[in-house]
Amino acid sequence: MRTADELIRIYLQDLKAALRGADKATVQDALADAEEHLRTALESADTEKEAEAAAVQAIIAEYGEAEEIAEAYKNWEVNLPPALAATPAARRVAASADSVNPSAKTYPGFFGVYADPRAWGGLVFMLISLITGTLYFSWAVTGLSTSLGVMVLIIGIPIAILFLLSFRGIAFLEGRLVEALLGERMPRRASFTDSSLPWRERLKILLTGKATWLSWIYMILMLPLGVIYFSLTVTLIALALSFIATPAGALVMINLGIPFEILQSGDLIWYLSDAQAMGLSVGICALGVVILTSYMHFARWIGKVHGKFAKALLVSD
Amino acid sequence: MVPIQETHKKFQKELSSGTVSLALLSILAQSKEPLYGYQIGKLVGAGDDDASGVMVKQGAIYPVLRSLESQGLLSSEREMSDSGPPRKYYKATETGQEALKTWTGIWEETKSFVDKVLGGDYQ
Repeated sequence: MRTADELIRIYLQDLKAALRGADKATVQDALADAEEHLRTALESADTEKEAEAAAVQAIIAEYGEAEEIAEAYKNWEVNLPPALAATPAARRVAASADSVNPSAKTYPGFFGVYADPRAWGGLVFMLISLITGTLYFSWAVTGLSTSLGVMVLIIGIPIAILFLLSFRGIAFLEGRLVEALLGERMPRRASFTDSSLPWRERLKILLTGKATWLSWIYMILMLPLGVIYFSLTVTLIALALSFIATPAGALVMINLGIPFEILQSGDLIWYLSDAQAMGLSVGICALGVVILTSYMHFARWIGKVHGKFAKALLVSD
Repeated sequence: MVPIQETHKKFQKELSSGTVSLALLSILAQSKEPLYGYQIGKLVGAGDDDASGVMVKQGAIYPVLRSLESQGLLSSEREMSDSGPPRKYYKATETGQEALKTWTGIWEETKSFVDKVLGGDYQ
């Protein structure tokens, strides 16, 4: 005779198996929904301990067979674009019959990238990643060293559990950020540990769980990544903008009557006429536009790659 | 040939996909307080022991709730519960209330059209 907890666990396994091939984030959402529902239902049924198993069977029957529910999630997922795709433009695309996957939308042409929310999202993500990366890194290092330090004392165990739980909580929040800015589908529900287990078991799951440590690694890696993303973004955008502003500078010099010449110890070593200077500055401006636009492409690409990277580390199987 | 049972199932599925959205939106728009999945599931399935009345399995309402939320018709809040995982409480947004009025109109039209045809009163 199986216990109620075992029955719920078996059902969740079945559901996971039935959802094979669906998006990882959908699977996590579906499992969280099912577990919340089944446990709440069992609690509300308020049955005797001996009758719980029978009650769970009835509850599961009402919830629906794993295959059926998995199908429902898969069907709705198609109509459920990731947060970023829920722009009017993406909705129009999703509405057209030939496009099932709104993320497949492309913005044609070199300059089409300015109309692509993913490029802007990637840019914003790269800018704020210095801040988030610093915070994650500090928290991850503080959390782990504090936990290890106090774990020898019995009083240290709750502190360690809190820190380990916080890693998972941060992983969830970062997931929401990644979905909002980078458009990668991430869990809409945080994963949780089974609260019916005694704290010793829960600590063991937290300590040995792959999810905890992958989240921790992500938090650590976000500092160097954040520094790189931020520096690249600020440097290249500043460079591009200064290039773009060159014609304005040349115009100011022409109006003030400042000649375009460089003197070295009184000798003229470099000279441009006003027309030449304007021509050159327009060329530099064009180069600036190319750099800026290329950077937008790069930001979109980083966004895509980082989204995959975040999903690999933050979403557990 | 497709077994007739399959045909019935397919028909029910196609019919329910829109009506379940309407029913869930209506339940949440009428509710004075935010509800979580299990409560909504009980309201949907209340008093239905035979298969005839059950439009949707309780487990199938969660993806619909998500879909409605992503369209801005519902909003949700997570709250910790004393036991078990945190619960997600849903309520209808202003947009949702507006949409319900329109959807109810569409439903009334559809219903009277189908009733008319079924009653042979369409000529």
